[in-house]
Amino acid sequence: MDAVGGKRINIRHIIFILMALAVALPLIFKLGLPLRVTDEVRDVYGFIDSLPENSTVLISFDHDTSTLPEMVPLAEAILRHCFRNNIKVIGLALLAEGAAVGDDNLRRIAGEYHKEYGRDYLFLGFRPQFTVAILSMGEDIAREFPRDYRGVDIHNYPIMNNIKNYKDISAVISIADGDMPLYWINYAQARYGVKVIPEVTAVMATTMYPFLQSGQLVGLVAGLKGAAEYEKLLGKPGLASKGMDAQSTAHILIVLLIIVGNVVYFINRRKMRI
Amino acid sequence: MLRKLPLYICFVFGTFMLAQFFIPHPVSTALYKMVLDWVQIIYALSLLVGAAMLIKHHTLIASKPVAKDRQYSLIVLFGIFIMIITGLFFGRGNKTVFLWIFNNIQAPMQATMFSLLSFFVASAAYRGFRARNAQSVFLLGAAIIVMLGKVPIGDMITPYIPQSADWLLNVPSMAARRGIYIGIALGTIATSLRVILGIERTYLGGK
Repeated sequence: MDAVGGKRINIRHIIFILMALAVALPLIFKLGLPLRVTDEVRDVYGFIDSLPENSTVLISFDHDTSTLPEMVPLAEAILRHCFRNNIKVIGLALLAEGAAVGDDNLRRIAGEYHKEYGRDYLFLGFRPQFTVAILSMGEDIAREFPRDYRGVDIHNYPIMNNIKNYKDISAVISIADGDMPLYWINYAQARYGVKVIPEVTAVMATTMYPFLQSGQLVGLVAGLKGAAEYEKLLGKPGLASKGMDAQSTAHILIVLLIIVGNVVYFINRRKMRI
Repeated sequence: MLRKLPLYICFVFGTFMLAQFFIPHPVSTALYKMVLDWVQIIYALSLLVGAAMLIKHHTLIASKPVAKDRQYSLIVLFGIFIMIITGLFFGRGNKTVFLWIFNNIQAPMQATMFSLLSFFVASAAYRGFRARNAQSVFLLGAAIIVMLGKVPIGDMITPYIPQSADWLLNVPSMAARRGIYIGIALGTIATSLRVILGIERTYLGGK
């Protein structure tokens, strides 16, 4: 412990500074670490690639704003892939904050590909009580969402011409920071047979593995790394690819801190015994 | 009777929802859709009740000049009303005040709070992860392998690190998780039956 400017600096402050540097420096000075694409991400990419033009996918923004740094790259990558392949996208949110984020993401990425609202994509908005919302859309999407996020009757949009329920949807993609994909599996996949693709935060990945192994999921895109792998497959590096170097150095720092912490612990324990 | 009425309602609707899954008859389907609509209406009303109670609670605190932490209640009330006013009267679409506040105030604040985790995880890693016994050595080893295996640098060190991380996640971790899921499913079935049959009554507010 040193006194600097009348204030004491302890080990926590040093760790915080090291962590800030470990995250910030690779974002400024690019390291360009090579990235291996995992099978579960490749499966999702292959599935979207295999869909014929004018297929429709349902993308649910099931997250709040605290996880935006992970969620936005995931959403951007899959939206770019869909719009590039002329796949129609119907967006919705089962968590309230996902509504504004979803609307913004859809509008922005659709703009990059000159897609038209109502014909190529649509945003339905937010519905509370996600279990019932998922079940209800299995019967009739228009019954659950009679109007879109802008308050217009969804029957006015050409994208809804041949869409009634999950039977007309190629896949449901849940971009989630919690376990919402499990509800999509339980109520949409198990009951109505629609294909489910989870795009989740890295910490939620292990929750999805049993369902991936059982074949209930098309694939899995998890965390910033998953998004970076998807960007690599797309050939369009974005936010996630930029963040992978920072994530690598942050992980390395944590591993080093664990090792140093244990060395200090054993030295102190030996001193105590002596 | 007043005490028993909710139990009867619960039994009827619980049994119906269970049975209709196996009866794809148009009448059953129509009733099922109606129940789904009712659930959402009730839920939407409960949201209103929740919002009203939140406003009432913070109004009470804010109205007392000497109340402890009064300033926080004032901020909550200000936030609620500013979002309601901007959302209702100026729209929620592109280039609106509502979206500007959401994108430039709420989202960065929440993301900042979540990002702070990395600093505390780093600090906890230094002070908390100790190889005190054999179990903690295993835990530490697994944590290090998975942490390195899930970032590109792990692959650069040696391809065995990501392979080992995948094995840890797909075999031991998966086995534990499957056991937990099966336990949760059985527990959910048992609790649901207890609620439907009126054995479990804590949701009514009693013991």
